[in-house]
Amino acid sequence: MNLWDFIVDRWDRLLPEAALHASAVIQCTAIATVIGVAIGIGVYRSPAGSAVATALTSAILTVPSFALLGLLIPVLGLGVAPTVVALVLYALLPIVRNTIVGLSGVDIAITDAAKGIGMNRTRVLTRVELRLAWPAILAGIRVATQLLMGIAAIAAYAKGPGLGTEIFSGLVRAGSANATNQALAGTLGIIILALIVDGAFVLLGRLTIPRGIRD
Amino acid sequence: MTTVDTRARRAERMRMLGQPIAVVVIVGAVLVWAFSGELDSIEKANINAAKLLRDTWDHLVISFVVTAMVVVIAVPLGVIVTRTWARWAAPVVLGVATVGQAAPAIGVLVLFFLWTEWEGLWAAAIPIAVYSLLPVLRNTVVGIQSVEPALVEAGRGTGMSGSAVLRRIELPLAVPLILAGLRTSLVLAVGTATLGAFVNGGGLGLLIDTGYKLNRPTVLITGAVLAVGLALLVDWLGALAERWLGPKGLR
Repeated sequence: MNLWDFIVDRWDRLLPEAALHASAVIQCTAIATVIGVAIGIGVYRSPAGSAVATALTSAILTVPSFALLGLLIPVLGLGVAPTVVALVLYALLPIVRNTIVGLSGVDIAITDAAKGIGMNRTRVLTRVELRLAWPAILAGIRVATQLLMGIAAIAAYAKGPGLGTEIFSGLVRAGSANATNQALAGTLGIIILALIVDGAFVLLGRLTIPRGIRD
Repeated sequence: MTTVDTRARRAERMRMLGQPIAVVVIVGAVLVWAFSGELDSIEKANINAAKLLRDTWDHLVISFVVTAMVVVIAVPLGVIVTRTWARWAAPVVLGVATVGQAAPAIGVLVLFFLWTEWEGLWAAAIPIAVYSLLPVLRNTVVGIQSVEPALVEAGRGTGMSGSAVLRRIELPLAVPLILAGLRTSLVLAVGTATLGAFVNGGGLGLLIDTGYKLNRPTVLITGAVLAVGLALLVDWLGALAERWLGPKGLR
């Protein structure tokens, strides 16, 4: 069976796996965005706080994903729980770092002007600073999704959902007729998903970046 | 942007100090815990000094073979696509490498194994090298492209040949970026090497896989923590290298 026939034949299984893969990545990125932006907002005014947050999240990123998943299995069991925790942790670094960079890159003259027209601190943050930092934050979120696409594949080892399942069952069935097709379908599927999601981010940027600061 | 830079440097300094201490404390604690418990025969076969050292050694060998391949392939390739006669190729090569990195590491590894039917060190090292090529390649290209054209002109003006300009001006100025890319590649390689166990390449992933399959959490945790410690340590060494191997004039 060639790859194309295989994909047509297993379409009813590959499609839900692709959907689960994308939804796991997108939902975990969303959770990480909420946590990461909150951390960024919490620390960006303090140089020491920013340094600690950046150092810790970049140390997490250094941890091999297979080792982190392994450590989570005895604690959280198999399936969705270790997958979500691992994906959220890995997504934090780009988002936290870019939130800090974006927020501390806002010109002080601009925030002073905002205070000068009577905005309180919350309004300066939500109406001025976060909007100016948004392109940087969005870039961080985009990097995070690309990273998670590959890590989610490894999560299939801990019985997580998604296209990684095909890759691992291709490995287990090495030598049998469709092993290569399975691994290839899983790998290509993830590349295609990554490219689609990346394209979606370009579109999201066009829709959400305030007109005044677009290049 | 200067505040951003000082903050990034500060975070980096913090890791330079904290990381080795954290590694020693965590790895030490886990080893003490693993060796002090009651071990059954399977656990004894996996948690002993000889086995742990061999897996760590295998892991390091995969990582360094990968790094050597990355340097030997990515730096010359990056140099070639920045030459005037091949400049058109730079976006193509970078584009292919970027799409290549969107491929999941485990997929690349499994496909290489299924296609070649190789096992062992090279079955792990070659796909991992392909996978961790991009950071060095990109940074070599960007590093050379961002050398001030006036400096290249000045070199030509003093009578340097094209290759002398490359060796004495362009490459030395690009070294800091190339080293930063190498550190990223090295960390990717050490991380991905944990997957080498799936193609019988050995390494610390083997302990994780054994512990999981035979339901021995102690073995799993020991392997995982050693892998984490090794990754943090290699990243730390990479940071040291970045600091000390760059040209003195640029520090």
